[in-house]
Formats: sequence, structure tokens, C-alpha cells
Amino acid sequence: MKYCDKCNIKINTHNSYCPLCQQTLSGETSLDHIEKYPEYISPTRKVYPITKKIILFVTIVSIIVLLVVNLATYKENPVMWSLIPIGSIAYFWVLVTLGVLSRHNIAFRFATLTTLLIGLLILIDFRSNGGGWSYNYVMPLLLTLCNFSVSVIILVKRMDYRDYIVYLLMIVIFSIVPLILYALNIVDEPWPALVSFGLAIFILLFIIFFFPKSIKDEIKKRFHA
Amino acid sequence: MDKDSRYDTWFRLDNSGKIFPEVSNHRETNVFRVAITLTEKIDEEILQLAVDGILSRYPMFKVKLKKGLFWSYFDYNSKPFNVEELKHYVCGEIHPRKNNGYLFRVMYRNTDIIIEMFHSLADGAGVVMLLKAIVYEYLNLLGKDVKPDNLVPTKNQRPSMEEYEDANSKFYDRKNRKHIPEKRAYRIKGTALSEDLTGLISGVMSTKAMINLARENGLTMTEYLTALMMYTIYVTQIQYRGSVSSNQSPVKIFVPVNLRKHFPSNTLRNFSNFVKTNMVMTEDDITFEYLKDLVKKQFEEGMTKSELIRKMSENVAFEKNVLLKFTPYFLKKYALKIGYNMLGMKLNTMSLTNIGKVDFPESMQPFIKDVTAAVYSGKFNTLNCSIISYKDKLKITFTRSIVETTIEREFFRHFTDLGIDVEIESNYVEEY
Repeated sequence: MKYCDKCNIKINTHNSYCPLCQQTLSGETSLDHIEKYPEYISPTRKVYPITKKIILFVTIVSIIVLLVVNLATYKENPVMWSLIPIGSIAYFWVLVTLGVLSRHNIAFRFATLTTLLIGLLILIDFRSNGGGWSYNYVMPLLLTLCNFSVSVIILVKRMDYRDYIVYLLMIVIFSIVPLILYALNIVDEPWPALVSFGLAIFILLFIIFFFPKSIKDEIKKRFHA
Repeated sequence: MDKDSRYDTWFRLDNSGKIFPEVSNHRETNVFRVAITLTEKIDEEILQLAVDGILSRYPMFKVKLKKGLFWSYFDYNSKPFNVEELKHYVCGEIHPRKNNGYLFRVMYRNTDIIIEMFHSLADGAGVVMLLKAIVYEYLNLLGKDVKPDNLVPTKNQRPSMEEYEDANSKFYDRKNRKHIPEKRAYRIKGTALSEDLTGLISGVMSTKAMINLARENGLTMTEYLTALMMYTIYVTQIQYRGSVSSNQSPVKIFVPVNLRKHFPSNTLRNFSNFVKTNMVMTEDDITFEYLKDLVKKQFEEGMTKSELIRKMSENVAFEKNVLLKFTPYFLKKYALKIGYNMLGMKLNTMSLTNIGKVDFPESMQPFIKDVTAAVYSGKFNTLNCSIISYKDKLKITFTRSIVETTIEREFFRHFTDLGIDVEIESNYVEEY
């Protein structure tokens, strides 16, 4: 036990000064005393945030360069052609940060990346007057693929499927959109829309029949007010 | 809990818990700590077993925070909980991703078991309960002959719904919920510590001597310590500097009140409110005697039942507001954040928490040396204080985010001048 004669306090430590008045302590502390609080070890910086920063920096710089070049030459060529590369670069950034670096749950990542990819492809289709290949073929088939893979993940990772089921439900509902577009005569090729719709209905029925309680609970949880 | 019922194991956040997830970060962590010192070195594996056993009994703590459309909620956490070795940080941020989603930590060092809890999940009384249960289970697994004597919850009891209730909304009174605007409080000045470090200094004194001292002055212990705290802040920071503009703000000490003692409830979740002292200290001749009377008067006013219900209802009113209720969460988040930054944090100079006496059954007492409590300190509340006692050891712990220790020094010197022995513990943060 050490002693500070200025503050009149006792203290049990290997340090040599009083924490209150910084004066030298008198007395001895037994050698086998272990300090109550551990020493500070400075954390070493991780690589991961730096990678993210570099990618974000390169993304933003290239988007600005593209925009500047596009606007500078707008008089000679009045088309916003830069939207296509900008969209692709932005998508690449999301793909890296959300798809690779993030630790969000996998169903959420699939659902978000698929939705964004569909949006990007529709944009490219419109810009290049592709004639609707994006919503005729790519959109329903991507949705089918996403539905299929999320279902497989849920079946394989049986542990905590409650976390995934809401995103699956979201994509399932989204898969009905191509069929609606077909009914509105925007889409003129029926079979991809029907495939995506068929799989969605199948998964929906599967959930309702085999996990009725968990889907009900999950909805109750997420929508409570 | 049987396996099937865990699908619907989820909890709403209680009223006071709703604000903390939005306003917490690495600087304002809203984390507090209760620690216990046993007589023997802690065995990590047995501690892990004890915690696992207790967690299956208290599903309330086996949760992670998730976002819903309107509010966030606690969802069952299927990942394993790991006890860890104590690091230097005092009440550091509990990062869900580094902690398997859990909102509390159980740590050990030498003979100590330390629990750090995010304030959303429970308050001081709830954590003391959890700590007691873990220590009982730990001693039990070590093969010690301990009995719970109805003082300690054990893992064999069935959980009761009462433990999970949001007691704040239970006592909500819509006629008594007037909002009284407050002025910004005085902020204790000092040089900030680097890297989110927190300094910790605690003083151990005799409980008996302290109770006698308070009684001689006709006050409760909390009142006496609060008055002394105001006086120390006044002497070290404000006296003879009454003309400085930042000193015009009132010194306000925030003292949490455990409402379980005032209203019938046994909830483990947040159920506390506060009383506040409030005084502009620009005069040059404020005495300790005057402050004692002031604190006693202000505590009496703040602790009346109708005033406590008013403060409770004022908080509950915002979540009952239909407009705010059905705002999507990602927008509501910002509303809460702005509201809190304008109102919440800056209304207190410091908080002084008295957790009170911790009782253990007689069969456990030989294995327990003492207990410690601490709260985080942040950017605005640069110094906070918490008090806990076990048998004849009263421990006053200061946590600070500034380098200076003047207030602590003057505070403890007050007792040594009165002839009360003080033993100091420090984490020597100024070394780094």
C-alpha cells in the first residue's frame, strides 16, 4: 500500500505518483499486486477502411471527369452519353462495398444488387435504344436467378432463415412486376415474365405452407408501431 | 426456453431505450459498467459456462438490435456470446458487429468480473440483477456451497413477463405531461483526452462513516454528495470568475432515480427517471451550507409522485404522437437525433448515479470483496460520477474525458480533511 501525504490517501499501485495531485507516493506495494486496470495498447489500423476510401475516391474522381468531358462537348454532341459509364462505375462501387466488403446478410445483398443492376440495365437499354431487351429478357431472368439463389441459401443455411425470409418475400413480390408489364403491353415477350412469375408463386406458396408462423412473426416484428 | 418459442422472442425497445441507439457513437457511448471483485482468480471457462446458463434464463439479454419499418426492436440472437479479457477502455462503444450483435459485454481480469451494458437494454438496477445471477451461477459451478436466499435470481426460475415490461408507459398520464423548457447547463472545462480514452478514479470509504456524516447534516447520502459535488465544481471552476460568459449557465447535476422504489414494478429494463439540481453560481460567496439546503429542497420538489409521473409522461408522449409514430424509421432516426442534440445531452453538467447498496446472501459474502460502478463520459458531460456500496465499502467512481483531476482531488480531500480514510484506485490514463 502506498500513501500520498499531500492528499492523505492510500493507493495500491506500481505507479510512482498520486493520480489526484501527481506528487510522488511514499511506501511500497507488494510485488505480487496486479493492477486493477490493464495498460492501454494502441490499436493498429486496419487495411479495410483504407481500401474502401481509395475505391470511393477513384469512383468520385472518374464520375466528375466523365461529367466534365460530357458537358464540355455537349454542344457538338448533345447526348448525355456519360450516364452509362457513370452508372456502371457507381454500380461497381456498390458491388465492391456492399457485395464484397460488407457483412450485411446475404439475402439483403442479393436483393439490393439485383434491383440496382436491373435499374442500370434499363438505363443502358434506353440510352442506346436497344429495343427493350432489358425488361423483356434480363429483368425477369435476373429476378428468377436471384429468387432461386436466395432460396437455395435459405435451404442450405437453415440456422437463421428468419433474417433472410423478408428479403426473399420482397424479391418474390417484385418478380410479379414483369407479368404486370406484360399485361400492360409494355413487355412483348411473355415467356421470361411467366418463368419468373411461376417461380415466385411457387416460393410464396412454399413459405406460406411450411413456415407460416415465422413469416407472420417476422412481419409483425418489422411493422410494429 | 424450448426451441420453437424462440421464433417469436422479440422485444420492443422501452421508452427510454428508444433514444440511445440513434445518439450513441464512439464518443457518446451511453455504456455503463458494474464490476465485482471476488477473492479468487477468475476461471474463464467456468465464467463462460455461467454466462451461457444465465443467458438462456434471461432471453431479454440474448438479443440483437434490428431495424423495423417504424421502430427498431430487439430480436433473438442465435450467435454465441463470448466473455473476453478486460481491455483498457472504460465504457467504450459496444460495436454490434465486433460483439456478435450483443449489446453488452462480460469481461474478466484477475479476480474481477466486469459487465458493460448499452443503456438501451437495461439500467443500473437491471445490470446489478444480471451480475448477481452470473456470480451466483459462477460460484455454483465452482462447487461452492452457495444459496440464493431469494436475493439472487437463479437460472432455474421461470422468466416472468413482468421482467420485460415497459413500466414507463404503464404509468403514463396524458393529463400530466407538460413539457417544461430548460436552459443549457454549465459544462466542466478541461483538456480533452486523446483517442476516446476515459480516465477513471475511484475512492473507497467506509459506508458507515459516510452515512453518519450525511445524517449529522440532516441529509441522505445522495443529497450530501450532490451538494458537495456542486460546491467542488463551484470552487474549482467558477468562483471569482462570475463575469465570464460561459459561467452564466446554471450548474445542473443529473441524479437518476430508481423508479422501482417509487412505483410497483419489477422490470429488468429501463425504469428510472431523474432529479436535477439547478443553480447559477456567479456569486462570490456561495457556501457549502447554503448548497446543502438548496439540494435538499430541489430534491424534495423533484421527487414528488406527480413530478416523477410528469417527467415520465413527457418522454412517453413523444412515442404516442401519431405523426411521429408512423414516420418511417430512417426519417424518425434524424428527428430523434436532432431533438436529442438540441435538448438532451446539453441540459446536464454531470450525472451522479447512486446505484446504492448491493446485497448478497450470507453464503456468498465470503467470496466477494467489493463492487464498482462506472458510467461513460463524453464530449459535453466531461466528468461523471457513480456510487455503489457493498457491506462497509462505499465506492465513488469518477470517469472523465479530460486530463485534469482537480475536481476529484478537492472532492476526496473534503473527506480526508474530515478524518475519513480514503483509498484510491486509478487506471492511470494520463500515462498514455
